[in-house]
Amino acid sequence: MTRPLPHPSHWSAPYWEAARAHRFVIQHCGDCDAPIMYPRRFCPTCLGENLSFVPSKGTGEIYTLTVQVAGPPTGFADRLPYVLAVVRLDEGVQLMSNIVGENRTEARIGDRVSVDFEQAEDGETVLPVFRLAEG
Amino acid sequence: MKKVTSAVVGIGEVPSGRYPERSELEAAMIVCRQAIRDAGLTPRDIDVILPVGALAHGHWNVDLVFSRLCEELGMLRSVKMNCQVMAGGATSSSVLAVADGLIASGAARRILVVHSDAVGSLPKQRGIDLFATTGVSEEWEAPYGHNMNAVGALAAARYMHETGTTEAEMAAVCVSLRKWAALNPNAMYRDPLTVEQVLASKMIATPLRSRHCNMLADGASAFVVAAAEDAAAITDAPVYVRGHGSLVTHYTLSQDTDLARLGFVEAGRQAYAEAGIGPRDIQLASIYDAYPVWPLISLDGLDLCRGERAGAFVAAGETDPGGSLPMTTNGGMLSMGHTAVGGGIAVMVECFRQLMGKAGARQVPNLVNAVETASGGTWMDSHVTILSREAA
Repeated sequence: MTRPLPHPSHWSAPYWEAARAHRFVIQHCGDCDAPIMYPRRFCPTCLGENLSFVPSKGTGEIYTLTVQVAGPPTGFADRLPYVLAVVRLDEGVQLMSNIVGENRTEARIGDRVSVDFEQAEDGETVLPVFRLAEG
Repeated sequence: MKKVTSAVVGIGEVPSGRYPERSELEAAMIVCRQAIRDAGLTPRDIDVILPVGALAHGHWNVDLVFSRLCEELGMLRSVKMNCQVMAGGATSSSVLAVADGLIASGAARRILVVHSDAVGSLPKQRGIDLFATTGVSEEWEAPYGHNMNAVGALAAARYMHETGTTEAEMAAVCVSLRKWAALNPNAMYRDPLTVEQVLASKMIATPLRSRHCNMLADGASAFVVAAAEDAAAITDAPVYVRGHGSLVTHYTLSQDTDLARLGFVEAGRQAYAEAGIGPRDIQLASIYDAYPVWPLISLDGLDLCRGERAGAFVAAGETDPGGSLPMTTNGGMLSMGHTAVGGGIAVMVECFRQLMGKAGARQVPNLVNAVETASGGTWMDSHVTILSREAA
């Protein structure tokens, strides 16, 4: 069994299409100027629909993390140990992702991270993931 | 202060654990009968039944939705409404708030609430996968390997980072709950547990080890809520619903901007104000657990530790049997077993049992006021209910 992969909605599709091109974007509301994550059908601040995707620097810090060592959901046994983290982007919005790389289990809360891209097993989906920033 | 409109007048419960021979229907029937008889009522005295959601088997949940219990319990052509209430782990506080509102509006006078589920008898991996998709976004979280143990771990890591709470203090929560479970014949785990044993158990998702994690269990419980003005005539030990407060803080865990506090400060303030009862008037804390970080967040947010850090307060034994603030005296989901939505219902029923003076070996002496908490999904919401032996 493989891990579950996203089935995008029509309003989140541009996020996943950008990821396939190794570009990291977040949604932006043209009416109230709010940065939005995750992509929404309407702006959660003003309920406007003047929404677009803008490039994100893809940098931020780890708000919290856990190293999953055992007891994973189906499809993740061969990825252990994997690092699940909530990343707070410099734009102020948050998302869940994996911290990847050889040094992933050394990650700590507050560490700076930057986005990278991981090709998924279906050969189509690309998942934004994060690496510890160098230095 | 809010005018008191409802009171709990009867309770029922079966032991939690793995009972593959006991169907959800049979367990539901047993606890409904207990609750109705405990109140000294008959099934035809009930005018509304609020069955809560069940997760293990979809057909059983459909039966609950479509009035099966009314037929089985002899309530046909007397009960007015069968309506499911479902808020995951927060169903306990939520269904009591709904019942209280129905009674306040005059739509009901005697309400039966019932939970019965059999998640403990699911194959282990199915249990993990079920809870990796409840309150977890399929699009944004599941592809990264999110799961229920990780929920408890991610919040614990942030809470420990902000408060300086230690791994030993986290383990002390499990140990305190186990001391209470040892006194509870309905609990799944009753053997003594030490901090050393918790810290030596297998790592699952840092900082959580296997003994920091709850076990899924089969279980059922029920209770009867009546109009406050009728309560004293029904039973000599009514439990009055004095106040409730709540706040939704996220759907996906990653969208919560204050994981170390959630919404318990706001919910507590609202509940205390409604009840006219403050933290120093509380003698029992019935706190939704599932993982050790949640009781600590709740104790802090509700200002129940007399200015101390919750981790230090629990590690000092203050929440143990004989301590200054008995906590979750059925053993919580960590020791009584996680019966899905029923984990929170069992915590609440235990709170009623204590206030009714029916808690046997774990009875808290001189008890007048208690606080009950709950949270659903991935701790999407923070609920606080104040319950009392006194109507005002």
